Amino acid sequence: MDLFLQTLLNGLLIGGVIATFTIAFQLAFGVLHVIDFAVGGWVVLGGYLGYYITAWLGLDGFIAIPLAFVLFGTLGYLIGPVLYNVRNSRTARPELMALALSFGLFTLLRGGMLTAWGFNTRNVTTTLSGESLAIGPITVPLIRVVAAAFAAAIAGGLFLFLYRTRYGLAIRATAENRHNAALMGVNIGRLSANVYGLYAGITAMAGVLMGAIYSVNPEVGLRYTLFAFFVAVLAGLGSVEGALVAALLLGVIEAFVSTYVGASYSLLAIFTTLFLVLLVSPRGILRRGL
Amino acid sequence: MAPIDRSFSRRRFLGGSAMAITASALGTPFVRTARAQAATFKAGVITSLSGENILGGNLTKQGYDLWADAINAKGGVEVAGDRFKVEMFYGDDQSSPATGADAAERLIVQNGVDVLFGPYTSGSTIAVQPICQKYQVPMISGSAESPNVWKAKPEFNFGIIPAVDTTSGLSLGVLAKLSKPAAKTVAVISVNEPFSKETGEGFRDGAKAAGLEVVTYELVPPEGDLTPVISKIAALNPDVIAVGGHEEVLLNVVKTSKSLNYRPKALIMHYGITNPAFAQALGADADGTTGVVVWLPTVSYKDDVFGTAKDFAQMAQKKLGGEPDYTAAACAASGLVLGDALKRLGKKPALTPENRVALKDAIAETDIQTFYGPIKFEKDGPHYHDNIQPVPVLVQIQGGKTVAVGPKEAAAADYIYPLPAWK
Repeated sequence: MDLFLQTLLNGLLIGGVIATFTIAFQLAFGVLHVIDFAVGGWVVLGGYLGYYITAWLGLDGFIAIPLAFVLFGTLGYLIGPVLYNVRNSRTARPELMALALSFGLFTLLRGGMLTAWGFNTRNVTTTLSGESLAIGPITVPLIRVVAAAFAAAIAGGLFLFLYRTRYGLAIRATAENRHNAALMGVNIGRLSANVYGLYAGITAMAGVLMGAIYSVNPEVGLRYTLFAFFVAVLAGLGSVEGALVAALLLGVIEAFVSTYVGASYSLLAIFTTLFLVLLVSPRGILRRGL
Repeated sequence: MAPIDRSFSRRRFLGGSAMAITASALGTPFVRTARAQAATFKAGVITSLSGENILGGNLTKQGYDLWADAINAKGGVEVAGDRFKVEMFYGDDQSSPATGADAAERLIVQNGVDVLFGPYTSGSTIAVQPICQKYQVPMISGSAESPNVWKAKPEFNFGIIPAVDTTSGLSLGVLAKLSKPAAKTVAVISVNEPFSKETGEGFRDGAKAAGLEVVTYELVPPEGDLTPVISKIAALNPDVIAVGGHEEVLLNVVKTSKSLNYRPKALIMHYGITNPAFAQALGADADGTTGVVVWLPTVSYKDDVFGTAKDFAQMAQKKLGGEPDYTAAACAASGLVLGDALKRLGKKPALTPENRVALKDAIAETDIQTFYGPIKFEKDGPHYHDNIQPVPVLVQIQGGKTVAVGPKEAAAADYIYPLPAWK
């Protein structure tokens, strides 16, 4: 029973961790209609910022979180229009061109990081690294609780922003119908740049947490891209609230399969779940995807 | 405007090029003759001099070069009373096995090497083996660690480093002897990728030989989260956790264990902890982690060319600017094997194709003591032509430094066992 409860907690916390870097990914897809391969690259960049903040300045890794938002949000804001223009160009298959561009961006980020920072795996230390709380027989890793809380806060914040502000209304209108939104006076180009900046900033913030929970090297980006994509498909592409539910579901599946069946079957279980959900509900688990 | 006479300049260019090519083609045999007159043994090194494995590739090259420099400084390899210098040729596998095979073929056909020194990666080594077989040229591999290299029963390839399944297996035996009270149970985590899985299987099989009970063998995907696995192992509470994986997984095992406030009495990993980046990344949390190496500068072995292991380390330090690791040492020892085999063979350079086959047979009969340790190749079994003589040295991170803790004859510090609980 103890192991069962611990596994359930592990699963929910893994889900929370995965959710941190998938929520904004969903937002970017909803507005830009681009599956951004570079998501893993933004996560790793955030992780490295966390590492350098701790290793060079001797500060707590958590300080890197707002810095990551400002720094990589700005970078995303600058890159956003390029992606937007490619996605809305009049060439044949602009969606594939945009996919190729984001893949190229990911490759550039990975290669650049390898050249600049090498192969060595780095670690982000925070005041809560390795700290845990014992509740009866269960051990609660605090840094993961922070990540899950972060995911919940981001999801809640985005929800309020999208449904309670005029700008959120404009974003939702753009996601629903770009042309109509433009006719209503929404500056689609600037909005897309803002959304991509917001997405890059949030994802890089999640990267600092990933560096604190796991570790960071330029090669791990692909893993985050894959998981973001798994969650996005399960959630229904573009569905922000679905991302939270899907991430928690995948986390719980991974934890239970790893503990009771065998860790080598965890990816198989995840793929089977994806396949079944796509078969039954192609618009995602909450049927809210695009 | 007068037209430019293009045909004239083109003709001159082509004529000049043709003359240059003819001259170089005529010149080549003279160069070759000149080399042959110097009567040197030609050794080819195939390794990763570019691409993702360039760091390891350079390590192997430096190791092989250290021997060539050392033996040439003594006047060369001794054969029938005379000494013959060694000339080194290099082939770059560009971190790709297929390119490695091409490079090996070029070294054999174009440079006419008498012997090859093997690549950094096991993958390239496996790709080069058929080339050695095809041209009947022996190869001495100072780096390959995968048991799959030897499972292929390579007639012309010989390995200096024991395959990873034997070292990881034997290391648990050393650990069991050092532990007080004696360790009884072990859980093995193995990442589902070639090198790591073989290491994990070595730990699993070696545990049985060491008298340890394997409570669980967990094969984990490289992408997986380790909390469920560590939670499961914590519930089983084994004395030892053994991990087959690269640095990133090792780092994550330590971090995840700490975040779940679980610490086994010993945590042993085969690869990566000797990389200073490991202790640097984990800080104090790295302390107590056990690792396995097949050689350290502090071992008590010696030979006539390099002297003691310490002498070798000093020579390497002077030439390379850093302390040599076991790969560089094994590559340098590969040269000692060649020197010994050439001496016993008694044939002067350049070697005929028949002599090369005889050289292969001479290498197979190697039984020498070197600064790296004893070298003798297996004659049959799953480790055919691998040198499984060296006893793995157990190292432990203590105060941020990697120190040898076992077996007793190699130990520089006491083994910390059981590990204290996380602070």
